[in-house]
Amino acid sequence: MLSGPVLAETLGVSIANFDDNGLTIMRNGMTAHLETLEGVELQMEDAQEDVAKQLDQINNFIASGVDAIIVNAVDTDATEAMSNAASAAGIPLVYVNRQPGNMDTLPDGQAFVASNEIESGTLAAFRMCQDLRAMGKSGGATAYMLMGRLSNQAAVQRSKDFHDVIGMDMCNFITLIDEQTANWSRDEAQDMMTNWIASGEPFDAVFGNNDEMAIGAIQAMKASGIAMEDVVVGGVDATPDALVSMQAGEMDVTVFQDLAGQGAGSIDTAIKLANGESVDKTVFIPFKLVTPENVKDFM
Amino acid sequence: MAETKQGTGGLVFDQKKRTWPNELNILIALIIIIAIFEALGQLLPYMNDQSFLFDSRDRFDSIFNEARLRIIILQVSIIGIIALGVTQVIISGGIDLSSGPLVGATAMIVMSFAQTELVNGGPNPKAVFGEWAFDLPILIPIIVGLAFGALIGGINGCFIAFTRIPPFIATLGMFLICRGIAQAWTRGKPVSFPTESYAGLGSGMMPVYWFIGLAILFHFILKYTVYGKHTYAIGSNEDAARMSGINVQKHKVLVYMIASMLAAFAAIILSSKNLTAQSGMGIFYELYAIAMAVIGGVSLTGGRGSIVGTVLGAMVFGVIQSGFTYVKLDAYFQLMAMGAIIIGAVVLDKVRQERAAKRS
Repeated sequence: MLSGPVLAETLGVSIANFDDNGLTIMRNGMTAHLETLEGVELQMEDAQEDVAKQLDQINNFIASGVDAIIVNAVDTDATEAMSNAASAAGIPLVYVNRQPGNMDTLPDGQAFVASNEIESGTLAAFRMCQDLRAMGKSGGATAYMLMGRLSNQAAVQRSKDFHDVIGMDMCNFITLIDEQTANWSRDEAQDMMTNWIASGEPFDAVFGNNDEMAIGAIQAMKASGIAMEDVVVGGVDATPDALVSMQAGEMDVTVFQDLAGQGAGSIDTAIKLANGESVDKTVFIPFKLVTPENVKDFM
Repeated sequence: MAETKQGTGGLVFDQKKRTWPNELNILIALIIIIAIFEALGQLLPYMNDQSFLFDSRDRFDSIFNEARLRIIILQVSIIGIIALGVTQVIISGGIDLSSGPLVGATAMIVMSFAQTELVNGGPNPKAVFGEWAFDLPILIPIIVGLAFGALIGGINGCFIAFTRIPPFIATLGMFLICRGIAQAWTRGKPVSFPTESYAGLGSGMMPVYWFIGLAILFHFILKYTVYGKHTYAIGSNEDAARMSGINVQKHKVLVYMIASMLAAFAAIILSSKNLTAQSGMGIFYELYAIAMAVIGGVSLTGGRGSIVGTVLGAMVFGVIQSGFTYVKLDAYFQLMAMGAIIIGAVVLDKVRQERAAKRS
């Protein structure tokens, strides 16, 4: 059979938060990918970190008869209701970036596109451990950790990854002095780091659950006259600001999550599902470690 | 000129009865909170006899832990600048919920006019405008920011003064509009890499100097000028103020304009301090600014409060925030503790006020 002219497909997209820098890169990845496709339209909504609002948006998408729905979940534990609503209406649903809590019981016609979150924190923390060893601090080193928003799965996971890495035989010379949340924010991280510096305990490493917080820590350390070559600073995301900081010799480790790739991947998966093709339940977009040696490739 | 003893707006204000200034209470509360943290430092086994405020490790060659003193005030300076404006709005009997999102919107706009062309020798990866907007003189972003603040404040004030809609609703609407502007400006992308001169505005202890300088300025304005007296008069009794010949509508517009310009200025300092502007900046700032003012003794019913009180209220915040990290309070419990302290402070203030009212 010949395929007829492609009908315009409409995808409903609900993003957890338009303010979030990483999610914005993902969003822009979606719109950029859309331009390479013909006959696909996006209806994009901002859920503003509000679980109830997001569910309303999805029900609105269903009511207006979209061909598939893409969800970047506000609360990963509240996805069951979304899955049920879409499944009952027979509309395919793709979760992107944040893993749904009902991953194990995901109905047919639904999938999850993301990077494997466990990779990111582990990659960064392990590289920081190697850097500390290379600096000759394997006899004992101390670290601070800046955590993301405490209700967020990625923050919990990356913090756990850091704990896991410093629990390994090879890296258990690292002692965590304190861990606090700075809500993914550069400003809060800057103040938090300054508070830590005020307590006067010597430290060798700072791990931020994301780059923004790592940069905040760097700004605080620079303001307090701490030499950046003596401290290993790691983050996650490889944002342009972080790459510039790395080039300047401040940031030591970050991890590139191909967010634009995730955005594009979610659209491709949604289209496949809308056309009745089968896809894997989980579509992984790999993470990449970024260090001063390869930072140029990501600029 | 109204007589000070007589008060304005027909209110009788007897200065002799106020023997114990409210600000002194807040100062005492501040000292008690510091003492509690100091005691915790001695009592908690994992603290190794570290001191909260004093130089227990001989790092500074001084009595105090200077880094601690600096961060206590540094971390509240930017919201403190907003609180100076919010204080005036609340004294005039209003409220301003739009200041936090206004910070986000202003930061985005201002930073777009403060970008530098070359970053580490390469082109600026975050450029918003073309060639013409690079390396502009520092006055341009500042003027753009203050003008935007004046515009938003003016709109707030006009709606409140002329359509008589409640300030809560007018500024709540503006809250959403400003967050929208912040997001729409670059479609959510952060704006980074300012010129060196712009970066200097908020670097190091600059936010503190701005905060203290502006606090002194507005302390005198509120205490000794007609503007200040009218602000208190309108907040105490709007009808009486109108009848005594104050142009209430014009004055309200002015108060909201000043408050928004202060919030816009805070945005300039914040984006300079962080070397970036992001649409999510300033989240909860409006609430923290209001809380600082209220802890500082500014009455939400209007007519009562002072800049000195608000500065002390801000210091209470700074001490608590720094103290929480000092005693390594579990991150999961900090918001709860902060909320409890805010409510507790206001309850204490209320009790004290009622007692004072009974006495007189």
